[in-house]
Amino acid sequence: MNPRLPRAIDQGLASCHVCGKVTPVVAHRCPRCGSALHLRKPASLKRTVALLLAALALYLPANMLPVMTISEVGNVMASTILQGMVEFWRREAYPIAIVIFVASIMIPIIKIVALVWLCAAASGKVHPSPRILGRIYWFTELLGRWSMVDIFVVSILVALVQFGAYMNVTPGPGALAFAGVVVLTMFAAMSFDTRLLWDRLEILNAAKTPQPPPDRE
Amino acid sequence: MVWVVPILAVLIGGWLIYQNLASRGPVAQVTFETADGIAAGKTEVRCRSVRVGMVKDLELSGDLKSVLVTIQMDRHAAALLCEDTRFWVVKPRVSATDISGLGTLLTGAYIEVEPGRGPQGPTSFHGLEEPPPTNRDVPGRRLVLTADEAGSLAVGSPIFFLGVEVGRIEKRELAADGRQVLYHAFVREEFSPLVRENTRFWNTSGVDISASATGIKVRTPSFQAMLAGGASFGIPDGLEAGKQAPDDMIFKLYPDEDEAQSSLFNPTVKVLLLFDQSVRGLAKGATVEFRGIPIGRVANISFGYLPFGKDSRVPVLVEIDPALLRRSMPGQVAEPDDEFLKQAVAQGLRAALKTESFITGTLYVDFAYYLDTPPAALAQIGEYAAVPTLSGGLEQLEMKFTAILNKIQALPLDEMMGNIAKAAAESTTTVAAARTTLEEINTTAAAARKMLDDPQFRGLPADLRTTLANLQKTLASVGPNGSMQGDLLRTLDELRASLRSIKALSTTIDDKPNSLLFGRDSSGNPLPRAPRAKP
Repeated sequence: MNPRLPRAIDQGLASCHVCGKVTPVVAHRCPRCGSALHLRKPASLKRTVALLLAALALYLPANMLPVMTISEVGNVMASTILQGMVEFWRREAYPIAIVIFVASIMIPIIKIVALVWLCAAASGKVHPSPRILGRIYWFTELLGRWSMVDIFVVSILVALVQFGAYMNVTPGPGALAFAGVVVLTMFAAMSFDTRLLWDRLEILNAAKTPQPPPDRE
Repeated sequence: MVWVVPILAVLIGGWLIYQNLASRGPVAQVTFETADGIAAGKTEVRCRSVRVGMVKDLELSGDLKSVLVTIQMDRHAAALLCEDTRFWVVKPRVSATDISGLGTLLTGAYIEVEPGRGPQGPTSFHGLEEPPPTNRDVPGRRLVLTADEAGSLAVGSPIFFLGVEVGRIEKRELAADGRQVLYHAFVREEFSPLVRENTRFWNTSGVDISASATGIKVRTPSFQAMLAGGASFGIPDGLEAGKQAPDDMIFKLYPDEDEAQSSLFNPTVKVLLLFDQSVRGLAKGATVEFRGIPIGRVANISFGYLPFGKDSRVPVLVEIDPALLRRSMPGQVAEPDDEFLKQAVAQGLRAALKTESFITGTLYVDFAYYLDTPPAALAQIGEYAAVPTLSGGLEQLEMKFTAILNKIQALPLDEMMGNIAKAAAESTTTVAAARTTLEEINTTAAAARKMLDDPQFRGLPADLRTTLANLQKTLASVGPNGSMQGDLLRTLDELRASLRSIKALSTTIDDKPNSLLFGRDSSGNPLPRAPRAKP
């Protein structure tokens, strides 16, 4: 970072969470939209961690319980996500197996790990380079919606495939847990205030160089 | 505040996992001969079509002779696993009697469980290869039929009552002694009151063709029974229905209806008969008849039934069906057998040995009411009742003959001889009298001869001859040239003429009936006539 620029927080200015208007934080309420003003998202790290823990708790049943029960002319097949993937893999439908694996198993876990890591960085436990931090946050936000693919598939199948005795698809308890994981990780990502990361960088830089800061190490 | 969220999530996740694990019941292992139609994770286990579990795993048993099917039972179905729980695979089956499991053509096979009644607990079972025909829990009457040979009756064959299917043969097996075939039959609950203690079962399989003087009779059962065999039952004609048969009662299966109808033999009573005559010719198994109708058979002939003593009578143990005897005495159906027998004996029921064949000397036992016998009572010898007996058969004949001889012997022959001598003496005097009579006849003959020698008597023929000559003369006057002949001819001619005129008169009257009153030409108006044909 180049020579220190003044920061909004140093001026006591807060950006409104809703409309983005910059207002002195002492006003408490945004003069434009009336929503509460904070310098940073309150208890951001704590919330994020709590939501992540909740997501992690639901991750287990999401993968252990069947997401979907397909009854096909009396042949009932209840399968978990992993079983479905294995089934596709065995039938040599590798692309689909890979998509399922990535979207349903990898992404949630990557998201959780990434957010935990970001939280650690924000609280100063780890010191990664800011570029990586930015990438990772961007990636987390990007992935968020895609992990809902599974839930979409289940809900569409359940709605469409209702042929009485011939074929029937019903959601399993795993779907609920999985949806919970996805929603919780999205909330966790939302409640995480990225500015905390940069705050931490500022502190680090300030601690490193009492003199004018160098370009990069 | 925010920590509520992870706590809630943990609770929900934990609950979900717990519920999933808790819904699993015990694991059962069932061995089948083949896993045809069974797939791990797909084949359901059902009890009365309700899902109670799922096949979890499928593997060959250690000795490679069967298949080990591991079943994950649902938790609520844990009580199904009892000691005598039965498992079988429901898949499409087609046999002569029925087609079952067609539904599984589409849905795939499933394993049916029939809950047992024994103690719960075991987890390893032997699966049935064939579905049991009738569920043990289905209420109904279970009976045992015994037959001398299996014939076409098989497991699953229907049982008919008046042509209505009321049950099924559930199981067929050989009796322990290997001499009979045992059929386990099942009659459905609503029809079970039809099975009485005196019901007869008979085989209705196949086509029955019998030729008799009245023609050929072909009797066929239903098509199904023709193919797969079947059994019928009924109470023989004229027999009153007995008590309802209890479960597991044993019935004899007759080969056909006629035999079942005619054989009223259901030996429920054993009776001891003491004969004071030889029983030579009476074999074990010989028939016991009541007025010609078989009612039982000789069970045994042995002195063992008699206590040691002076009694030299021969004990014959017979087993009889009292039902027929009862019919001879209406109104006594309800009485117990011994009471009934007592009354029957009091009314003159006796047993006798009769000859079945004079050539072989075979005997049979005949029961009948003898009204002129001296009264006797039903005796009790050991555990058996003893019906009084009469002598019969050759023995009876012999005895009658002896009686006749005795009578002859008792005749007063000596006295008779004396009488005869006396009669002879009397006849001598009679002969003397006869001789004098003859002499008298001789004198009479001499007198007659004297009369014949009289000359007057001799002139008699000449007189006769003149009389005849006169008679001849008279006859000649009547002859063709006699004087009387001409008179007769004339008279006849006149008669002929008068007859002719009567004929003319009758013709006139015929033409003109009124000519009797008006003469031949009563009117001047001649009636028109058809013109005469001119010659």
